[in-house]
Amino acid sequence: MTTENNNLEREEAVVVALKATFPDLTARVKRIRRVEASVSKALTPSVLVHAKNVLGYKALSHISCVDWIEDEHFELVYILWNPDEKIQLLIKTLISRENATMENIDTIWRQANTYQREMREMFGIEFPGFVGAKEFLLEDWDDMPPMRRDFDTKEFVKEAFFLRPGREDAKDVRDTIAKRSKEEIPEFAKKYSREK
Amino acid sequence: MDTNDKGVRKIVDMITGFARSNSLFMLAYGTGCGDIEIPPAMTSRYDWERFGYRKMATPRQADVLLISGYLATKTLKRVIRSYEQMQEPKYVVAFGSCTINGGMYWDSYNTIKMLDHYIPVDVYINGCMPRPEAVMSGLFDLQEQIKKGEANGAQKYRENLEWYRGNQKKVIKNWVMPEYNW
Amino acid sequence: MEDILKLLGGAAATMLLAFVVGATYGGLVRKIIARTQNRVGPPWYQNFVDISKLYMKDTAVHHGVMQHIGPAFAITASVTVLMFVPVLREGGWFPWFENLNFKGDIIFLIYMMVFGSLGMALGIGQTGNPNASIGVSRGLSMMVGYEIPFVLSLVSVMVQTHTTSITGLMEWQTQNGWLMFEAPFAFITMLLAILGMFHYAPFDIAHAPSEIASGPPSEFGGKYLAMMMTSGSIFAFAKLVFLVDVFMNGASNLVMLVVKTLLLYMVPVLYGAVSPRYRTEQAIRYLWGWPVFFGIIALIYSIYI
Repeated sequence: MTTENNNLEREEAVVVALKATFPDLTARVKRIRRVEASVSKALTPSVLVHAKNVLGYKALSHISCVDWIEDEHFELVYILWNPDEKIQLLIKTLISRENATMENIDTIWRQANTYQREMREMFGIEFPGFVGAKEFLLEDWDDMPPMRRDFDTKEFVKEAFFLRPGREDAKDVRDTIAKRSKEEIPEFAKKYSREK
Repeated sequence: MDTNDKGVRKIVDMITGFARSNSLFMLAYGTGCGDIEIPPAMTSRYDWERFGYRKMATPRQADVLLISGYLATKTLKRVIRSYEQMQEPKYVVAFGSCTINGGMYWDSYNTIKMLDHYIPVDVYINGCMPRPEAVMSGLFDLQEQIKKGEANGAQKYRENLEWYRGNQKKVIKNWVMPEYNW
Repeated sequence: MEDILKLLGGAAATMLLAFVVGATYGGLVRKIIARTQNRVGPPWYQNFVDISKLYMKDTAVHHGVMQHIGPAFAITASVTVLMFVPVLREGGWFPWFENLNFKGDIIFLIYMMVFGSLGMALGIGQTGNPNASIGVSRGLSMMVGYEIPFVLSLVSVMVQTHTTSITGLMEWQTQNGWLMFEAPFAFITMLLAILGMFHYAPFDIAHAPSEIASGPPSEFGGKYLAMMMTSGSIFAFAKLVFLVDVFMNGASNLVMLVVKTLLLYMVPVLYGAVSPRYRTEQAIRYLWGWPVFFGIIALIYSIYI
């Protein structure tokens, strides 16, 4: 594999093939054996079907979700794998954070069911027409979906659980040890210290 | 024979203490990452069967509930059910700092921080993770407590059931569990 | 009146002996298995500590009447089997106690040995625990597996000696030599059958702890478990003494009895200590294979000798 390190021909061929069918999409070679494509929300299912049936990306490895709270959208990343050519294809799409919905794709890959259940529970993304058990990992959860970035974990923990008094968190270990053993912290390390 | 006689009482206590402390049946229910410390403690390296410890598969037969690590609220529900199915006398040994103050999960939204607010704990073993030696040393402490008659977590639970239930119901919102019958 | 008292005293003493020896054997087995796994193992008296602790435990589980009667069935069957097995050769081990032998007691024992398991199965059925029910179905299927070579072996012995009572067998052996050598194929069949009978590995799938939560006894804790352990100790002793009586001409004193039973017991124990676990159908295929083949050979041998 090391010999073809600089040879990105196969990856570029994938970009060309994608662009030939979908002119609107932006695709680029990320590195060897990894291609990335950004697609609009409406186009995503057809790109996925095309990638599966025509380009040979038979396996859906994962669907992940990134919460871009500042830009007010979620980014869904469909990670596909081509077992013949050994190339990974990442198809990214942006969806609105308000009333987030996404096309249900568990008719294309059955394993998408699990990932969609997780996203529904952890981010509150709805998939219209999606059939799956309501609960995935959490049980009786009635708060905001916990993986959203506007969910304040610390506040929630203070309210829901008992915290043992006396524990000191968010302390710099290096500072604590240095203070205890009266050791000098070198100058360059001081700028990383949490105790200003 | 007067069973309340001091000498008789003492002998009976000695025998029960010996039998109970030297035959601890653990419930083989691994809750967190700490359960990986149990196989080395059981097998030829540390061999805790020397002391009469044994792992049982069902709560009906167990004396000791080992809480091996962090408890998600989902797991807590199962732990409470297992604990209530165990027959008295029963003891709880919690190990790992997660059970004491949350450990590295101190700000996790789904992990409880103080186990002794939900079920009575007889022995805490700290460490992340405690090694098998530490686990066994904690169990020796439990044996000492049983011999002295101090390991009365189950009694505490029975007497303060309302307080424990309140705390449990605060975390487990949809409470569909059978009633505790002794 | 005095006769009945003597009989009862002798029976109680026999039960005590069976329990003590059986529980000690259980402790020794745990020790031996530990040594084969390069561990130290529990002390030999560990089973006594376990049983006494379990008798001191609360039992506040109620699923129905049969659940309470099930362990009693098991212990009844064990004691009944014990009562029909002569512990020692001449008259009995206790000065004025004779066993309840009669003509045809081997056939009776073949039936009686199954009774305890069936009683337990009834009790377990009422607990409604799915793991226990799975364990019961596996245990009873396994029983179908080992009962056939077991019965074949005993039938061939009975055909060869023209007697169906244990005392009759022992008299025959005193005249003609041990059946272990006189009926070698029957003995081989029996050795293979007791691998399954004692429920040690590889035939312990009915009690698989991590798979079906220890199976049949999974809903029985405290006193019931103690009763089952007591019954198991007595039953193991009774079975061993029965086999020693049939194939090794019994024993004339307690020391010889311990030596012979321990030797016989080591066969399933040591085979189990180094074996993984068979699935039910594998176990039945094993038990209906070579053991049944040897059993049929033994039958033919016993007819034509």
